[in-house]
Amino acid sequence: MSDPNQADESEVCLLDDDPSVLKSMHYLLASEGLKVRTFSKAEDFLAHASKHHVPVVVTDIWMDNVTGLEVLARLCAISPKTRVIVITAREDLAARATAMAIGPVAFFMKPFDDEKFIAAVRDALNRSDKKEKA
Amino acid sequence: MKAAPAEKGHTQSEEQLSLLQTITMEVAAASDLASALEIVLREVCEKTGWVLGQAWVRNPDVDVLHLVAAWYCGDGELKPFKAASETSHFERGVGLPGRVWESKQAAWLEDVTNDPNFPRSPAARTARLKTGVGIPILAHDKLIAVLEFFMRESRSQNEQLVNVITAVAAQLGLVIRRKRVREELTRTNEILQSILSNMGDAVVVADKDNKFLVFNPAAERMFGKGATQLPPTEWSHRYGLYLADKTTPFPHDQLPILRSIRGEDVDNVEMFVRHENAPRGIWTEITGRPLRDANGDVLGGVVVCRDITGIKEEEFFRAGQSQVLEMIAADAPLADVLRNLVILMEGQAEGLRCSILLLNRDGKHVRHGAAPNLPEAYVKAVNGAPIGPRNGSCGTAMYRRRPVVVADVLTDPLWTDYRDLAKICGLRACWSTPILSARGDVLGSFAMYRQENRGPVPEETRLTQIATHIAGIAIERQRHQEILREREERINLAAESADLAFWILYPEQNTAWMSEKGRRIYGFDSNLPLTCDLILSRVHPDERAEVKAAYEKACALSGTFESEHRLLLPYGKTRWVIMRGRCLKDEEGNLLETIGVTLDVSVQKQADLQLQHQRDEMAHRNRVSLMGEMTASFAHELNQPLTAIANNAAAARRFLERGNIDPALLKQLLHDMVADSQRAGEVIRGIRSLVRKEAGVRTLLDLNAVITDTVRLVSSDVLNRESVVVTDLDPLLPQVNATLVQIQQVLLNLIMNALDAMEGLPPAERRIIISTRLDKGDVTEVRVRDFGTGLPKEKPDKVFDHFFSTKQKGMGMGLAIVRSIIEAHGGTIVGENAPDRGATMIVRLPAAPGQTQTVAAA
Repeated sequence: MSDPNQADESEVCLLDDDPSVLKSMHYLLASEGLKVRTFSKAEDFLAHASKHHVPVVVTDIWMDNVTGLEVLARLCAISPKTRVIVITAREDLAARATAMAIGPVAFFMKPFDDEKFIAAVRDALNRSDKKEKA
Repeated sequence: MKAAPAEKGHTQSEEQLSLLQTITMEVAAASDLASALEIVLREVCEKTGWVLGQAWVRNPDVDVLHLVAAWYCGDGELKPFKAASETSHFERGVGLPGRVWESKQAAWLEDVTNDPNFPRSPAARTARLKTGVGIPILAHDKLIAVLEFFMRESRSQNEQLVNVITAVAAQLGLVIRRKRVREELTRTNEILQSILSNMGDAVVVADKDNKFLVFNPAAERMFGKGATQLPPTEWSHRYGLYLADKTTPFPHDQLPILRSIRGEDVDNVEMFVRHENAPRGIWTEITGRPLRDANGDVLGGVVVCRDITGIKEEEFFRAGQSQVLEMIAADAPLADVLRNLVILMEGQAEGLRCSILLLNRDGKHVRHGAAPNLPEAYVKAVNGAPIGPRNGSCGTAMYRRRPVVVADVLTDPLWTDYRDLAKICGLRACWSTPILSARGDVLGSFAMYRQENRGPVPEETRLTQIATHIAGIAIERQRHQEILREREERINLAAESADLAFWILYPEQNTAWMSEKGRRIYGFDSNLPLTCDLILSRVHPDERAEVKAAYEKACALSGTFESEHRLLLPYGKTRWVIMRGRCLKDEEGNLLETIGVTLDVSVQKQADLQLQHQRDEMAHRNRVSLMGEMTASFAHELNQPLTAIANNAAAARRFLERGNIDPALLKQLLHDMVADSQRAGEVIRGIRSLVRKEAGVRTLLDLNAVITDTVRLVSSDVLNRESVVVTDLDPLLPQVNATLVQIQQVLLNLIMNALDAMEGLPPAERRIIISTRLDKGDVTEVRVRDFGTGLPKEKPDKVFDHFFSTKQKGMGMGLAIVRSIIEAHGGTIVGENAPDRGATMIVRLPAAPGQTQTVAAA
């Protein structure tokens, strides 16, 4: 679906270990005309982020082998400019607080409102552009 | 001749009379025949002028006459003739004596020197003898003797002289005959006396006046005293005569001697005699006959008394043995049987004391059996003593399993420990023989004690053999009875306390017997005649065919059967019973009967069912409570598909709004939504199955898959509690036959417990390791290891008890339920503390049959 070697300024990365959720988010963003790159494993995403510019990533917090919080922490080190949108299937205030402290721009409870989500993704992309330009 | 010589005749008659008188008197006084003959010869010669007289008698052996007596006038010239006579024997018809013998008549020879039939004529010539006469002495016309007289003058036959001598001879014959009779009588009497004196049987003869005529030595020995003048009423007392009961004096009017005097024939009357010379008593068998004269009148009576003590004692001994054996057969108490046996044996020999000791079932100690005539102190000391190689006679005999003869207990080393006691009790010799069972096991010992030091005589050895044989039978039987009794008691006890029915089926006759309790269990009236079919008809219809088949199979194999089933009683009442039976066949293989028991287990069964119900209820509550702890996981599980559906739906809508949707893409979106909806439904079904009351059925399960799914199921909560579950699964693990929900329940409980145990740890250390492996080929093992607080150190398994909890909110049911689930699957669960920290719960479940082979092949 995506060429791993080619970075794109407007490409949104998706990270979720649940394939159907991952796929459905891909379709949702595609319906908005956004470019999407999907990852089901955190390692794959971090490897990608270390080599390419990633303006926005949408990640799940609860994954089988690694928590989204860990991914966030490592992403900060690799690519501090990347905007992060967290989605989670479970209400967890502590995790939310931690995530916000690390720096995500939005936090969504699964299932979420598609308009707000897309708006958040677009907003993140714009901020990234502005930041880039600035 | 008659008138003329009247005067002379008178004189001669007077002479004859005088001669006869003298002879009669002297002969009567003579001690024997020879001296009587001598007297006759002398008198006749002196009174009638003969110089020589000789007497000849028949020698019965060779049937010739020989000289027995002679008289001569003192003339020396007669000597050669006398010598010739002494050396002569005359056959019938030979010589003068032979002629007289043959003719039984007197013979007169005028000149013996010229007689042709007179062999002694030369000697007669020398002796200058001329005339000789021979006279027979006859008795009852039988010749007894021949008398010879000789003179020197030649004289013709003088009839008168012959007559005188003949008369004398006749008189002599009478005397001799009488004498012979008397001699004969005397001799017979002597023989009789000798017989009477020497015979073993007692002989008593009494006359009509009850006066004893004969009382032979054997009679004196038997009756202790000699003949008496006491009246018959005193005889029983005087001689110690008793009836067979040994105590009642023999009624005098029934005494055999008196009965025989009364003219009765008495045969085989038994009498017991006891007096100071025979303190143990004598048994006698008496035969009596009346004594009668020629006219048949009773003169008295005679009895012959035979000593039958030996026979009688043997008879009593045998009767005593029979009595003891009867006691054994009648199951008399062993102590009584042995006591009687000992007394019987002691009665067989003077001064004999016996004892029986029993060997305890431990085979090491003795206990008192019977010793009625041994000192109590001795009996007490021996009771409970151990057996061994040097333990007196009995302890050693039982130990060696061989007879032990100790002739002198005061010196024998075997008696070292008992010597002083034996001394006090006056025991000197002790011979003990082990009593063996038919199989040869030692049951006890029989001992003989004596107060003198010696070994047993053959009779005592014989008694010992009999005693040990009988005692062996008695003890073995008693042991057997004891075992039977114990068994019966146990059965009875069980029958009374448990609801147990006894029954016997006779299939050939289609009849049956059942105990009262049994009739109550089966709902039969007490007096209802039972049949096999009737009993079978009580079995619940659903199970009847099965029970019948099991019974018939047991009958065919002559074996046992056991069946747990329900009874359906009248009015619809049901009972749960366990029926157990055994089929018995005769030697030809015909089925005789089936005996057995039926146990009413309704109460237990109900309790079991209730318990099962409670267990299920608890397990359900446990699952529901687990669900409550897993809300995060369930929310996550459900939110994932819902999120995907929502996203897909939103994407479809947006594509449609933009109006450029590819139909294939739309189809894909819709397809994904359906799939995710199904996935959400599965999550809900999973939750529902866990909270459903019924746990479901057993199927073949791959434990590794169940673990992976379960870990995934709880992953949200694990993450939520900042913990990690790591799995290490053996890919070759065989499948198990189990109920999925229950295995999940086990895993969830173990994981939740592990999470709880690690709450106090820093998040980085909160780790659970779940591993599987194959143990011993056919057992699967699941280990759930945590690093928490661990199990109670003293008793790690206490955690499986009901209501044991370390948690404030816990009910303490989780692990108890886990264990009951695992055990219901034929498995085990144990808890161990890890060496460093934390606990490991080890679940072992049997691999499903046929599964291990697959693994081995792989």
